[in-house]
Amino acid sequence: MIFALILGFALLLIGIYGMLSQRNLIKIVISFSIADTGTHIIIVAIGYLRGRTAPILDKAIDIANATHKVVDPIPSALVLTAIVIGLAVTALMLSFIIELYKKKKSLSIDDYQELKW
Amino acid sequence: MVNPIFILILSLAAGFLLSIFEKGGRKLSLTVFYGVLSFNVFVIAEWFYRIVFLSEPALIINTAGFTAPLSINLRLGLQESFVLLFTNFTGLMAAIYLFRKFIKSHISSLILYLILIMGINGLVMTRDLFNMFVFMEIVSISTYALTILTKTRDSLTAGFKYMIAGGTASIFFLLGVVFVYYFTGNLNLDFITQSDFSHFGLISLFLLAMAVFIELKPFPANGWALDVYQSVNSGITSVIAVVNSAGIFFVFYKISPLLPVHLLHILGIAGVITFFFSNLMGLKQTNAKRLLGYSSIGQIGLLVASLSFTIHYQTSLIYLIVGGFFVNHLIAKAGLFWLTGIVEKENLKDWGVLKNNKSLLILFGVLLFALSGLPPFPGFWAKWEFIKILTQTKMFWVVGTILLGSLFEIIFLFRWFTIAVKGDIDSNEKEIPFEFSKLFPIALFSGIILLISVAIMKSYYDFTLIQLLPIIAVLGVYLLDFIPSKIKGFLSLIVVGIYGYYLYPFESNLQLFFGIIFIVGSAINIIGTLNRKNLSQGFYGFLLMMIFSFGNLIIAKTYLEFFLAWEFMTISSFVLILRGNKAQMASLMYMIFSTAGAYLMMVGFSYAPALNSNSVLINSIANVQLPVLSIILLAIGFMIKSGSFGVHIWLPEAHAEAESDVSPFISAILLKAGVFGLLMIGISYIKNTPSFDVFYFVGWFGVITALVGAFLASFQEDAKRLLAYSSMSQVGYIVASIAILSHLGWLSAMYLSFNHMMFKSALFIAIAGVYYRTHTRTMYEMGGLIKKMPLSYITVLISIIAVSGVPPLSGFGAKWLIYSSFIEKGWYFQAGVLFFSSGVSFLYLYRLIHTIFLGQLKYEHQDIKEAPIWFIIPQYIFMAGIMAISMNPNLIIQPLNSIVGHYFQSAILIDGYNITSSLGNWNGNLVMMVTMGVFIVPLLFLKLYNGKTQKVEQFNIVYAAERPESPQTTHIAHNMYAHYRKALGGWGKPRIWNFWHEATEWSHSFGDFFRHIYTGNGQTYILHIILYIVVIYIILGV
Repeated sequence: MIFALILGFALLLIGIYGMLSQRNLIKIVISFSIADTGTHIIIVAIGYLRGRTAPILDKAIDIANATHKVVDPIPSALVLTAIVIGLAVTALMLSFIIELYKKKKSLSIDDYQELKW
Repeated sequence: MVNPIFILILSLAAGFLLSIFEKGGRKLSLTVFYGVLSFNVFVIAEWFYRIVFLSEPALIINTAGFTAPLSINLRLGLQESFVLLFTNFTGLMAAIYLFRKFIKSHISSLILYLILIMGINGLVMTRDLFNMFVFMEIVSISTYALTILTKTRDSLTAGFKYMIAGGTASIFFLLGVVFVYYFTGNLNLDFITQSDFSHFGLISLFLLAMAVFIELKPFPANGWALDVYQSVNSGITSVIAVVNSAGIFFVFYKISPLLPVHLLHILGIAGVITFFFSNLMGLKQTNAKRLLGYSSIGQIGLLVASLSFTIHYQTSLIYLIVGGFFVNHLIAKAGLFWLTGIVEKENLKDWGVLKNNKSLLILFGVLLFALSGLPPFPGFWAKWEFIKILTQTKMFWVVGTILLGSLFEIIFLFRWFTIAVKGDIDSNEKEIPFEFSKLFPIALFSGIILLISVAIMKSYYDFTLIQLLPIIAVLGVYLLDFIPSKIKGFLSLIVVGIYGYYLYPFESNLQLFFGIIFIVGSAINIIGTLNRKNLSQGFYGFLLMMIFSFGNLIIAKTYLEFFLAWEFMTISSFVLILRGNKAQMASLMYMIFSTAGAYLMMVGFSYAPALNSNSVLINSIANVQLPVLSIILLAIGFMIKSGSFGVHIWLPEAHAEAESDVSPFISAILLKAGVFGLLMIGISYIKNTPSFDVFYFVGWFGVITALVGAFLASFQEDAKRLLAYSSMSQVGYIVASIAILSHLGWLSAMYLSFNHMMFKSALFIAIAGVYYRTHTRTMYEMGGLIKKMPLSYITVLISIIAVSGVPPLSGFGAKWLIYSSFIEKGWYFQAGVLFFSSGVSFLYLYRLIHTIFLGQLKYEHQDIKEAPIWFIIPQYIFMAGIMAISMNPNLIIQPLNSIVGHYFQSAILIDGYNITSSLGNWNGNLVMMVTMGVFIVPLLFLKLYNGKTQKVEQFNIVYAAERPESPQTTHIAHNMYAHYRKALGGWGKPRIWNFWHEATEWSHSFGDFFRHIYTGNGQTYILHIILYIVVIYIILGV
């Protein structure tokens, strides 16, 4: 599924570009989220095998031939975990932004560079 | 024996249940919290014990009822249990450190802390790559949240930067993991090998490695980490810098076997670059925690480099090198971060408060010395072995970069230390409050690092008690520090006597000669320290340490033993110098130059061929053909210690600013260690002459040192600086004579060494007595002390006669021998320069005795008395020595003749009192008789025929030709040789001083320049990370 792979990389790059170009803290976090999503799509795309079905062992698939009939379940399993982790990181970032905003009433990353050198 | 998986289960369960326990009060939840952390430590400790001492095999834990790779498996082998023991223990200690914080903070911080430690355990044990990602994220998220345990705007900003940087790295890690899966069909490290990857597949490993590497904070993609170190609560910072770093480093260790060698090498070099630049930038830091951050980043870089370059060596060596750096850095850094939380001074300048708190100061010293990689701490051994490997594989650029980086580190760490010991302190400064929970972890860690050090010395190197003696001395005297200093002094004298007696059977020839200089000379000088009144805490410990390291130097059997003793000598003398009132700058300069010299020596020894016999180094080195590079490096190292021209600028400062009873040790004895070293390489040199005549240049350096030292001495106003420069000049003569490499040359070098030890000790002690009475070292503020301090005057008179080389005293013999040896060698020009500098030395000698003892007594000195008896005794012991060898030079010439005879064909003939060389003969006894006669006959004549002399009273101005009330600066004694200085013209400028000053300025400017890449903008930091990965990718050229 080459299209999904390309889409995933495109999102990843867009996300990274956004993180580097946006000044607004929230937009940076959104960019991070986009990049993260891109990664997730890449993971799913890697596990996908053309013409196969979901890796759920039920009556539709006989167990002996299961490995030839289903897509690789591992990346799908991984991506679930990765999504959850991404969610947690994003949430934490946003809560930091709230706290930062409370302290300085600014959402621009340029206003938070007292620590340097 | 508890299955370690319960660490994960129990921590998770407790983490979830803590908020319920909290309903029962904070006491309950804290009990559970500390209970779980301690449980983890005990479980791991037991496994560690089993694996190390009962040789049990590594434990493999399968989960979910399947075997790997179907399920995730955990491994607990030697490395894992070691790292986990360390991280869990540090985690527990940091939690104890944070106890007061945890009493008040929200329960979530306890939960996060537990989950963090759980994550580290999982991270270290798991063999599954994706599982590793999960644990890494668990650790990261809990760390992010903990950065605002103390919520300030800075910690929030830093936390946010940390998050976006860590988030970016984790995206790459995730990509790497799935691509590894894509290329190998596996996620388990036990089932993946390097050969599973196609050329294109390497990209997955690259992504994986880079993500981990970014988490290890390489330069310049590490700005976020510095902000975190600077602004976050010290307890949490210690966890981030130590526990997290250890975990991530272990991940790097786990994936390193998969990485292709060239990638590993690139990462190693990136580590070295990180080490260099963080230390360079550290030079400009004034914020204590940010400084530690820079040092932390640098040390992790070094750790990565050490792993990358040694990965194919034998396991025990890797354990020593990588394990040594690991333990050393992390323990020291944890302790120091904790200290910053106690002292609560952001600016380094304010750390002078530590001097009011001795116990904190000692802990600070231990941790800081450890961090600097000085012996006996693990970093020293790791560095020694690591540099040896790098030198032997001819990676000189890497060696140079690492050592220069280390030198920068020494500079800023010791600058900090000297501030803590000597810095200014606000008079209304409050005392540092005592908090047991904060102090306990630091004390424990300092103890542990000392224990590990001793364990390495005993088990890895088989060192005996004698090599440990310098440390034992410091610790032992520390325990006895409540005893009055006079008793400690007597005890030290006895201990040195016993040590000398113990050493005696091991010594022969050259060793015995230096044994007398080092041990007997020190023992006599100890008498001078008996004048101390107060407790003098710590003084005798370091003094004994120094004397023991002198002794250990001469009985060293291997390069390492020699270098160890050398470093102990440096440490102890540094501390002794630092005790001086205004010695902050002087001791720092001494430390920097000594360390630079020590690093050169380290490379020199590393590059030298292995010794093939078991006898002492000074003998066995004769059978070794030292490479030219080794000789040059060693010679520079030894010449730095002996204060040769060009690297001498530390010498006058250190010798003058040390306490006045320490100066004789530093000036009369310590300098001879450099002489001993030069003789040592000379011994190898004469037996295996290399193609390039290094000693010809050494000789010139000696000659120039003699001349410059004499001139500089003449221009000093400060008596001790004058004596210091005089030492520089005298050692210049010695170095030059060694460089002649002939029988006569070495004979004169040793003769002068012995002579110099005696007269310079006597002079420094005499000046110590004068300073003790007059409280000034500025000579023109004194005068006419001859009547008040006649005994000191006689010492100075005899000593300067002995220095100047006029008959009849021992200096005459020295000069006779030196000129003979130079002429015999054919170094006429050098002999001429030396002759000229002998003339110059009359200037300063005259100035010394004239300005202090002759002329008019100053009004404020009307009531002073002779120097205390403890100063007089050692002076007169040395006087007796000088008179003895002046009357009968054979006392020393004969034994020296036979010692030098081991190396060269004897060039002199001794017949009774008469010594004949190819150029003529010298009869010391006859010279003495004749001179005495020349002196006594006119004296008697004058007494008999000119009996009615008129005594001139001090205020009989007509006769004294001097107005006592006039300002001292109009007196001849002030700026005495201004006309000579003028005559020297441009040559009188302090060029060398300016050179080093400029070098310092430049390196600081460079550091300042580079640190500006850390703009403080989080986005720039992400850009650094992305660019870093791209650049490494391009270098790698996959």
